[in-house]
Amino acid sequence: MKKETKNIFIDGSLLITEALVKAGADIFVGYPITPSNRFYSYGQKRFPSFYPAPDEISVLQWMSGAAAAGKIPVTATAFPGLALMVESLNMAYAMELPMVIVVTQRLGPSTGSATIGAQGDLGIVNGIISGFPIPTFCPSNFEDCWTLSQKAVETAVKLRTPVILLTSKEMVMTSKSFDFNKLEEIKPLKRDKVEINGEYKSYQAGEDLIAPFIDFNTNKHQVRINSSMHNETGRIVKNEESINISKRLAEKINNNASELASFDYKKEEGSNKLIISYGISSLAALDAVEEIQANNQKVSLLIIKTLIPLSEDIYNIIDSYKEVLFVEENLNGQLKEIIFGKRNTQNITSVNKFGSMIAPSEIVNQFA
Amino acid sequence: MLSGVKAPFCPGCSHGSSVKYLSKALTECGYNPLDIILVSDIGCSGLVDPLFNTHTIHGLHGRSPALAMGVVLGINEPNKKVITIQGDGGATIGLQHILEASRRNIDMTLIVLNNLIYGMTGGQVSGLSTNDFKTDKRIPDNAPPFDVCQLAHQAGATYVTRVNNPKEITEKLVEAIKTKGFSLVEISSLCQPYGAKKLTQLAEWIEDEILLTNNHPVGQNISKETASLINEKHFIEPKYKSAIEGKVEVIIAGSAGGGVQSAAKLLAEAGIISGLSATMKGEYPITVGTGFSLAEVILSKKEINYTGLEQPDVAIIVTDNGLLKVQNKINKNTNLYIDSKVNPPENTNAKIFDFNKMAGKKGSALSAISLWIEESGLLDINALRDVAKKHKYGDVLLKAIDSSKDMLVR
Repeated sequence: MKKETKNIFIDGSLLITEALVKAGADIFVGYPITPSNRFYSYGQKRFPSFYPAPDEISVLQWMSGAAAAGKIPVTATAFPGLALMVESLNMAYAMELPMVIVVTQRLGPSTGSATIGAQGDLGIVNGIISGFPIPTFCPSNFEDCWTLSQKAVETAVKLRTPVILLTSKEMVMTSKSFDFNKLEEIKPLKRDKVEINGEYKSYQAGEDLIAPFIDFNTNKHQVRINSSMHNETGRIVKNEESINISKRLAEKINNNASELASFDYKKEEGSNKLIISYGISSLAALDAVEEIQANNQKVSLLIIKTLIPLSEDIYNIIDSYKEVLFVEENLNGQLKEIIFGKRNTQNITSVNKFGSMIAPSEIVNQFA
Repeated sequence: MLSGVKAPFCPGCSHGSSVKYLSKALTECGYNPLDIILVSDIGCSGLVDPLFNTHTIHGLHGRSPALAMGVVLGINEPNKKVITIQGDGGATIGLQHILEASRRNIDMTLIVLNNLIYGMTGGQVSGLSTNDFKTDKRIPDNAPPFDVCQLAHQAGATYVTRVNNPKEITEKLVEAIKTKGFSLVEISSLCQPYGAKKLTQLAEWIEDEILLTNNHPVGQNISKETASLINEKHFIEPKYKSAIEGKVEVIIAGSAGGGVQSAAKLLAEAGIISGLSATMKGEYPITVGTGFSLAEVILSKKEINYTGLEQPDVAIIVTDNGLLKVQNKINKNTNLYIDSKVNPPENTNAKIFDFNKMAGKKGSALSAISLWIEESGLLDINALRDVAKKHKYGDVLLKAIDSSKDMLVR
């Protein structure tokens, strides 16, 4: 039975904040930065615990300490803050601590313009744990803001890892009317209590490559958390065991690529052209596809929501088309570069824009 | 407390004995190993964690006081004690973290093992290296050192001390560990390859012993019950009709403090209560209290995907600041409402009214929106009145809406 509609006028920041808390995130550590500032003010009211840190290095350090003590921490930042977090985020990744970092994209490089939207941070997010994937979800509409926030919390806990929610100024600051009844109720995550008979080792993984997590509240087992290369016990050593533990950090995420995958694929039979987009630009792509189809041209659309890791499904879809057009609001196409490299070919093209949103007409013109 | 793992320190290094003093102090305070969370970072001082049988966490150079603070903020068991160890190099790069933990008087103990140099990278000087040491070593840097004890004390730490006599270390550690709130113990230390080789040499280089106390409240963890921020007052049930068939794009331009953003929000809500989809985007300088204030509202019968607005159907301009921001977006096809104090741009069909005079500075934008609604008939003015009534300043807003009636009959 179709539920009745329940209209709400809301911004993406509030939906994401609400979904994160409902999913089980319980502590927000913030340093204010535009255009993530609404997360800070909503977080202050909505999270059970909220702490204002003096800088973004402290943010990630406090979050890591709290995560090791059993919390599921969240912060929200933009590129300048993310840049300061890089080393500490690598620490949290190596320590295998669950947390969610909301990154709201604005125009760069450097301080750029705090109030102009962009999709320019996939490059740094893709390389932030250089060579290692950090699960990255990118909402392309308000339903995604809700469901991907929950997925971010679940992934962080299940895979014992920091997770990035990559948003943009337009997605989280523009208010939109929205049918709230489209959303499924979020149930809080139940964290399994780890029972270990005998010695517990903080980094001893099972076949699923995930090491069961016990936090510092325990009186039963010794917990050793370490960001430097370590053995299963958590002691610094340099040997094959510790090198394999470092490699496992990537494997545990890549092995789950299809479970982490989220995308919308609007396939049109007989089309040999595919438009690929993500985040804010995918809304323009949706309008453009409607217009292209109204002009009796065939086109399929792929909106990717899990940007890291990319699943086999994504590559298989791409391989089934002759021509691919990427739509992203940055200088040269960062997703395109991740998938195909810097070189453009006749069959791989892109619509890019720097400094304002891509309009549907610009996609339609390029497609023609 | 100790694991029995052999300490990795050079012969004659103070760090080995500091580990033993700490272990003794913790036992003397009555702690079991798993009551303790030992936080360490990078540098020779950071090699301590395998030596202890406690919980341990080993992080980044200089960041251990911040990491430790995170543990304190997150822990549920009130009987756990967080102990942090770093060197003088770590205390230099992470000084902000020490000040922050002191300022908040976080319940933890920080031990700074000050051997005056960076030992792991070849004996470079730190921010805590003294001038006597640097002069003797012919290091051309005469900037005075930070006194980490004075700084932590000034920032609000409950207990701070510098110990130069090894015989006093255990006793001072016990005092620090028993302290409620932030405590810091700086231990002057030997480093055979690069620093002081003997205590007599160390004595010539280091700062005097010190003991400073404060009586500030201890930092408390915050945990509160919260309710959903999305509640009944956000829901808008359609009860009016709209004549909009496709999409109408409205731009509202004025100045900070002129009620532009709230007027735009009311317009969007009036659309929703009339069964339309709506989006609203605000733009204003980072210094929100001055300059222009711009809002874009899209009303549409269909669900709105793309929220950009290139050429508005309707433009409402109530100040010169606002005009400057939007003049390149309007032309003679724009349905333009403009205040009489603003010079209307050329090649436009401006409708000029005294919005500011009739509705005041704060009501001018809403007054103009109301006039457009009345003239165009695209929305029911009662839809706008309805959403305005629910507002905190409903009475004031209704006056602005009603001011348009006088202009309409003119």
